[in-house]
Amino acid sequence: MALALPADPAVSPMDPPQDGGLDLVAAYKAMVLIRAYEERILQARTDREVIGPVHPYIGQEAVAVGVCAALQPRDHLVSHYRGHGHALARGVDLDALTAELFGRADGLCGGKAAALVSDPATHLLLSSGIVGAGIPVAAGAAMTSQVRRDGAVAVVFFGEGALGAGVVHETLTLAVAQRLPLILVCENNGYQGATRTEEVYPETSVARIAEGHRMPVHRVDGNDTLAVHAAAAASVAVARAGQGPAFIEASTYLTRFHLQFDRPSGERRPAEELDGWLARDPLDALRGHLLAAGTAPDLLDALHSEAERRVEAAVAFARTSPWPAPELALTNLWAGTP
Amino acid sequence: MNELAVLDLVLEQELDRNPDLVFLATSTPPSWRTRFGAERVRTCPISEPAMVGAALGAAMTGLRPVVDLNRASFAFLVMDQLVNHAARIHYLSDGSYRAPMVLTSATRGPQQLGPQNEQCPYGVFMQTPGVRVAVPGSATDACALLRTAVRDEQGPVLLFIAPGLADHCDLRAALAAEPQPFGVAHRVREGDAATVVAIGSAVHAATRAGDELAAEGVHVELLDPRTLVPLDLPALAASVLRTGRLVLVDDGPRSGAPAQILAALLDVPGVALALGGRIAHVSAPEVPVPSSPVLEAQYWATPERVTAAVRRLTAAA
Repeated sequence: MALALPADPAVSPMDPPQDGGLDLVAAYKAMVLIRAYEERILQARTDREVIGPVHPYIGQEAVAVGVCAALQPRDHLVSHYRGHGHALARGVDLDALTAELFGRADGLCGGKAAALVSDPATHLLLSSGIVGAGIPVAAGAAMTSQVRRDGAVAVVFFGEGALGAGVVHETLTLAVAQRLPLILVCENNGYQGATRTEEVYPETSVARIAEGHRMPVHRVDGNDTLAVHAAAAASVAVARAGQGPAFIEASTYLTRFHLQFDRPSGERRPAEELDGWLARDPLDALRGHLLAAGTAPDLLDALHSEAERRVEAAVAFARTSPWPAPELALTNLWAGTP
Repeated sequence: MNELAVLDLVLEQELDRNPDLVFLATSTPPSWRTRFGAERVRTCPISEPAMVGAALGAAMTGLRPVVDLNRASFAFLVMDQLVNHAARIHYLSDGSYRAPMVLTSATRGPQQLGPQNEQCPYGVFMQTPGVRVAVPGSATDACALLRTAVRDEQGPVLLFIAPGLADHCDLRAALAAEPQPFGVAHRVREGDAATVVAIGSAVHAATRAGDELAAEGVHVELLDPRTLVPLDLPALAASVLRTGRLVLVDDGPRSGAPAQILAALLDVPGVALALGGRIAHVSAPEVPVPSSPVLEAQYWATPERVTAAVRRLTAAA
């Protein structure tokens, strides 16, 4: 049952695309790696090599890459259960991430986290398995920057489903009132699990909810890497200057629907909707920009084969990594314990 | 601010001592904001889940947050951030992140706050691995445990304070108290007749009961665990193995901390045999705390109830 709601007439217009100084080849390389990785991980899940659920990021690569390209190593990042794309865009070690998804000893978190990874080396604080719950944690990292006056910002990724959670609204209020250097990146893909967002929200855009909290909002085409990057770069600059948080709503779509356990999950979305978004694939769009700018197609094709080679090497690494010693289940309850 | 005013003095000293210490509460002392700055002393909207989540992010990135939850009932508001996130991050990251943070709150006093705002929920947090739980039985221990909690780097601590601790506060001793390591029970009184384990606000009632029984020549051993997680099981078990009798005393429900302490003790070789059924509970009934003082009277672990329990056990063979 879908409520008949009008399209969003009064929602603020999308930011016009602009070049924010993004290295397009590097961005394309990062997006290609995420795409190749996610396709391979889905296969590894079907093959029962990856443990737990897989939430593929395919189709949303422009958001992770566009945002992370605007960050510095000192900045902090919070992700969620659909987090491989964010981790790879941030530069998390491919071998360690893969071994973690395989539940192995050489995994980023020793096999305790699977997809819900943390990585101090890249300031990836956590990838929460609970919708919306990472947002206040990112706000806390922003508090640290404020106390230390170190100029770092905190970025948190979430889906529009997170706006259903009370703690998110609490954090929006707190972040604005305390002018936290926090960038909230909403990947609005139109679905909350299997539920269409318009069935449960007053409108499909969440921009006005953020505006209601007096949060500056950028609305962008989430499949346009340049637009995402420009909004992120502008938000980061404002936050770094101590002028408070920003909210980016990036409209996007999942190419592979939602979630896989033992078997590939079925497609349940309308065919015309899916086809419309497939025609707007973020990798194709960026490739178009690059070719128009005179980049040789061979160079881009080489990035694809290089990504596949790197991913296959990571899978091989994960396969040869041993299972963790069973007694390690009892370790690291809190710091100072064995 | 804290029902036990001396804790504010300790916290102010600790804020002065450590520039990484930050304080989050829905109400903060203006003098602290002036002295330490609004970035370290944060007055927040009434958003406990966001405050605890933010404390976690701050702790993971190098600060030492203290969140005053005000009432222990509000701990239930923050379960996701505290249990699913703060308590899990060190384990989940296999030791690569730490979350040194402290949540303070008041349990029960004779304040007639009623079923929602007055309770002793610490037993719940003995079932949420990754959280340490401190329930001091005196103002001095409250100060000592607070100092430990804000100085150590191990992970989240819940500090539950009974407002009644203020009635028997030795201010000088409390302020002078050195940090007290967690997991070390305090032997309030020595004896062989029975082991009395009392928690938080019930420690004072059990102490008076011990005095009364001693006047009759019955010398109980009174132990205050001070922290429920970690629990000083070796000290409790050694006492029970010697006395063969156990009375668990708490102003919370029996299903909470008392049941879990008993279960842990029965797992220690020899304890079940030594006790042989000589076990008694003095605790609150398994219903919410009512408001009227007449209704609430039967919810307190009084000295009379403790002495009656000890007499019953010592009368048995």
